[in-house]
Amino acid sequence: MSPPSLVVFRTGNIIITGRTSLEKSNQELLNSLRQNFEDAASRATSEQSSWIEVKGDTFYAPGIEEPDGLSEERSEYDITVKLFYLPGVFVSKRRDHTREALQNVFRELRVSSIDLLIISFPNISFDAEDHSPDTEPTQEEVDEWAETYQTLETLQLEGQIKRIGLSEFGVARLLKLLPRTSIKPSVDQINVRDCCVVPKPLIQFAREQRIELLTHNDCTNILPSSALQGLLQENHLAFGGFKNVDPQWVVKYTAVIQDRGVVENKGYFAMAKVDIDRT
Amino acid sequence: MRASVRRVIAKQHMTKNETPITMTSFPRLGVPGAFTQPYYPPHGPIARSIFVPDEIINQHIRFPTLTANIRSRRGSKVCINLPVFYDEKTPNPFKDPTVQYDLSDYPEDGDVRNGAAKDGHVYMDAMGFGMGSCCLQITFQAKNISEARTLYDQLCPLGPIMLALSAASPIFKGYLTDIDCRWNIISGAVDDRTEEERGLKPLNENKYVIPKSRYDSVSTYISQDPGYRPEYNDVDIHQNLPLKQKLLDGGMDEPLAKHFAHLFIRDPLVIFSESINNYSVENNDNFENIQSTNWQHMRFKPPPSAEDAIGWRVEFRSMEVQLTDFENAAFSIFIVLLTRTILSYGLNFYIPISKVTENMETAHRRDAVLSEKFYFRKQVFPPRYANRSGKSSNASPGGSTSNTPKPVELGPVEDEYCLMTVNEIMNGQAGQDGFPGLITLIESYLNSVNVDVETRCELARYLDLIRKRSNGTWETAATWIRNFVHSHPDYEKDSCVNATVNYDLVKAAETLGNGEGKGTNLWKGLFEKR
Repeated sequence: MSPPSLVVFRTGNIIITGRTSLEKSNQELLNSLRQNFEDAASRATSEQSSWIEVKGDTFYAPGIEEPDGLSEERSEYDITVKLFYLPGVFVSKRRDHTREALQNVFRELRVSSIDLLIISFPNISFDAEDHSPDTEPTQEEVDEWAETYQTLETLQLEGQIKRIGLSEFGVARLLKLLPRTSIKPSVDQINVRDCCVVPKPLIQFAREQRIELLTHNDCTNILPSSALQGLLQENHLAFGGFKNVDPQWVVKYTAVIQDRGVVENKGYFAMAKVDIDRT
Repeated sequence: MRASVRRVIAKQHMTKNETPITMTSFPRLGVPGAFTQPYYPPHGPIARSIFVPDEIINQHIRFPTLTANIRSRRGSKVCINLPVFYDEKTPNPFKDPTVQYDLSDYPEDGDVRNGAAKDGHVYMDAMGFGMGSCCLQITFQAKNISEARTLYDQLCPLGPIMLALSAASPIFKGYLTDIDCRWNIISGAVDDRTEEERGLKPLNENKYVIPKSRYDSVSTYISQDPGYRPEYNDVDIHQNLPLKQKLLDGGMDEPLAKHFAHLFIRDPLVIFSESINNYSVENNDNFENIQSTNWQHMRFKPPPSAEDAIGWRVEFRSMEVQLTDFENAAFSIFIVLLTRTILSYGLNFYIPISKVTENMETAHRRDAVLSEKFYFRKQVFPPRYANRSGKSSNASPGGSTSNTPKPVELGPVEDEYCLMTVNEIMNGQAGQDGFPGLITLIESYLNSVNVDVETRCELARYLDLIRKRSNGTWETAATWIRNFVHSHPDYEKDSCVNATVNYDLVKAAETLGNGEGKGTNLWKGLFEKR
């Protein structure tokens, strides 16, 4: 049997673990993975890497324990999931990646659907001057977005997600993508350092299209390969045999108790391809 | 900015020379001569004050009765001495020239001959001085009793910090004082303790020596959260023990029984005969009577009745009212966001309760916001491994429970806190291990929830005000009022705020309150760098 070729990294609920929550999302992801690895290792039995679990062709690090899930009725929560497609990964893979990512979140929170799925395409960032010709998307880009977007529409029809969200889309990008969709996005999430300078045309356009403009503080490159490899090298005992680690997607999930505005659960999963060196 | 709908409506119900203003204290309340219109002479039979007329008391029978009962239970008039602010031409030593020593209409006229008015201080002798002060108080609904207890305890150490940051009352009875806040004035204004209870005479007729007024800082924590340590309740408080026993017998736990038994060491201030004659267990008037005349800086509010949809609530009571609606919104929303952040992250702000009391005194000092330091907790995140319900989450793969993580070793309580400036508490300390700052924590919370751009922009303006008031870029209302007086051409550098200065100050407060004054000197300091 060939060794597993995929690995899913998991942070668990990071909302109550402290300082990691005060950092940019790339640091938050790395630090909370590091913390979760340490916690898992300290809980594990004598075998050095017993906290990594194998299931089919996938490693889980740490292994999937029985997650706590949510403490109140599902209807009390607003669950938002943001999926980061990473650079250098085939667009054709996104359909499977989206479903895998969602499945991990469902299992972690013990739910069967989420309220909002926001997708983040690689290599695009929000530009307040989004009418300049530089940001005019190419036909190739638009085709990629449209192909990926279809997956979300299917998921919505299947009842797995209630609303679809985009991120970093200015007017130019929206104008190109919207005609290619049958279910309109409900949300456009933008990263603006000073949210009081959102361009008027975007505010106007979003209002006309009934797209909610939300803010976020994530960074463009959430998990560079080098950063992940660095983290794994720190845990040489557990990950010594992991070679050519190549991140495929990252997903962030947040469960907020709607009426009270309390964040009860927040965490990340990251999936990577890996070669196992058995020597 | 423009005048809020509320101000417009209020104004419609007023005469031409009346206007709604939001000042914590009216600067010339109680000066000799006219400070009300129409004028009434002071020294009526109810308050018996040298300074304020009985006519300023609300005419509802409750209020004259409160005033008279506090005075008669205490055995003298209430007594408030505020240190005067010594300016270049202030007589030194300062002897309050408005005190009349030769009156003999009431037995209480002897108070001042027995030393009630202290040298170097502005003296006040009536409940009206406290009740004439306005506050910014916010009540939160909690999801259940245990969340209410958590919020009560966690907001408690924030009380003095927010008092210093919202400071808005440097002038009393026409004098610049050396304090910035109203809190202790109200505390003194409703202090009904007898001489025995204040520890001035050995106990004979009374049961307890009581260290604090019924209006004072919180003296006991009530939550049963895992972050609580018995060391935090380091003040030995008096309790109504027979009552406490009844509560314990009825199934109430120790911390909560202690809280209520402490409230019930006080006598009622006013009782209406109906509530005695028609006494019923279902009716909680008699509970509310004691509960609502204990004015601590937090209030724990049980549901008003079993049928009512209103649940367990907590009131945050220390802040001073601000001159503008924008500032009042900013302070209110800051506290609301802080509660959401506390509940999401499970934050722990506990310090020994005696340190909260000490902070409360510190907060009063002139410019405490920039020149004083406050005891504050260093590490506010819950220890790792603890989950939301406090049980240790150590589900290990395969169900093995060996090698469970060791419980966190608790060090001495004294190591958990240190002295910080308001700026450090709000905006954070330098360095990897420094306190991150409440604003940083709130922003991190906001980054974890879905907020639309317009709301986020509005919240950013509110947080910016808190940030700049904390780091001194902008002034507190107290500092701004002091600067207004100092730079007024009619101010004679003698600490005295005369009628002209007072008039212009109140007119300025009106302009600001109506959302006007941008681009003028009025904004300097308050919303712009001076």
